[in-house]
Amino acid sequence: MTIPIVPKLLRSHLSDLAERDARIDGRGRWEGRELEVQHSILPRAEGSARVRMGDTIVLAGVKFQIMTPYPDRPNQGGLMCSAEVRPVAGRNWESGPPSPESIELGRVVDRGIRESGCIDVDSLCIIPGEKAWQVILDLFAISDDGNLFDAFALAGITALRNATVPAERFEVGEDYQLSVSKTPIMCSYHRVGGRFVFDATAREELGGDERIHITLGDDNNVHSLQKGLKGIFSADEFTEIMDNAIERTEKLRKIVDEL
Amino acid sequence: MGGYGDVQMIDENGVRADGRGPGDIRPITIETGVVPVADGSCRMTWGTNEAIVAVYGPMEAHPRKIQRQDRAVLDVAYNMAPFSTTDRMRPGFNRRSREVSKVTQDALESVVLLELYPRSKIRISIEIVSAEAGTRCVGLTAASVALADAGIPMTDLVVSVASGKINDVVVCDLNKEEDNYGEADLPMGIMPNSGELVFLQMDGDLSQDEFKQAWKYNMDAAQEIHKLMVEALNGGDSQ
Repeated sequence: MTIPIVPKLLRSHLSDLAERDARIDGRGRWEGRELEVQHSILPRAEGSARVRMGDTIVLAGVKFQIMTPYPDRPNQGGLMCSAEVRPVAGRNWESGPPSPESIELGRVVDRGIRESGCIDVDSLCIIPGEKAWQVILDLFAISDDGNLFDAFALAGITALRNATVPAERFEVGEDYQLSVSKTPIMCSYHRVGGRFVFDATAREELGGDERIHITLGDDNNVHSLQKGLKGIFSADEFTEIMDNAIERTEKLRKIVDEL
Repeated sequence: MGGYGDVQMIDENGVRADGRGPGDIRPITIETGVVPVADGSCRMTWGTNEAIVAVYGPMEAHPRKIQRQDRAVLDVAYNMAPFSTTDRMRPGFNRRSREVSKVTQDALESVVLLELYPRSKIRISIEIVSAEAGTRCVGLTAASVALADAGIPMTDLVVSVASGKINDVVVCDLNKEEDNYGEADLPMGIMPNSGELVFLQMDGDLSQDEFKQAWKYNMDAAQEIHKLMVEALNGGDSQ
């Protein structure tokens, strides 16, 4: 990713807005953008989803491969999650090997899904020690107007929850729905104009400071945390974010579960 | 081309496995403005192909060594998303996508008025998110719509379509099975207003007569597809 030039005017405008508890697009501090979640929209993927949050649009696709289980875990399959942000998604994204930004995106989403235990890796075993399913979740950005993290996480879990294991194509039995027992949800907060806001746009990211990502599971258990970029935050600030995340993830989980 | 003669894909009445006649194309939808952060964009579905194209620019060309003093440069990247194919496509470098990017760039450089933007770059990203057969045609056609959506001056749009041969019959717009088991494939990039060509490839085996028939199918289909492109650019729904 090219290193963006941060306009001083944008930074000072954002702090002026923050003093009046306002945001650049008129939203409240904890207000998310208009959200649209669709699933099963890609004909070649075994599971897929499209998430739109304002002008941020992402796709997620699930593919399956047969793998040899690792020698120390002969009864387990695998889960792999990778994120790609290609130049299509914005003028600052460049082609070439994955940037540190897109690797971080993929890994943070991966941890939230993996550590929630929503996919039972034992159930992915076909023949112990010989054959098991590898679930591959690919996250793909179409339009980056900020907060790709939450969009990717939401698209990822939605695609997995609507995925079919293609057993017939691999001649190992009948197709069946991938079992996903939980719905981990990520919420991201960016420091903009001195205070944290939910669901930042690209302009807020550009003129803002550090960000914090929280993934919560069904019982509000914490499954992944990540602090990104330069900045210092207090315990009180974190508590405020966590309280908001508890409330927010519950609503988002309902949307995904009811699809 | 595989050329397996034993797969029956067209019956004696000229009806293909998916119900189309020899000269019929698959259903097409075209939509613009689908990448809100881009200067121009297009989503095109064609059968179960789906391409998303974003155009950025004209913008500063860097590194400076790629700049041309007398014209703009195009930077075209064609890519297939990992979930676009039956077997997962590994991301990263791949000779096929490099070649498709290059021939697509050559085609678009033939219609964009590059000399209007010296020392600048126009970036065109073609992402195939679902692949059936004929993705290069979908990518090139959608790219010309995205360029028009970005307001980049061109002498004409480009309509790309392929015809080929299955079970010794020339047909237009091969689907996946026909592409896999067919005997020839002739993709062309056509300027619909002049009937001139900016892109041409072919592989397989066609007699002179078959070649002429395939050419004609492509020319006729180009007019049909052109109407949908113009409709989409005028804000109408192409479905």
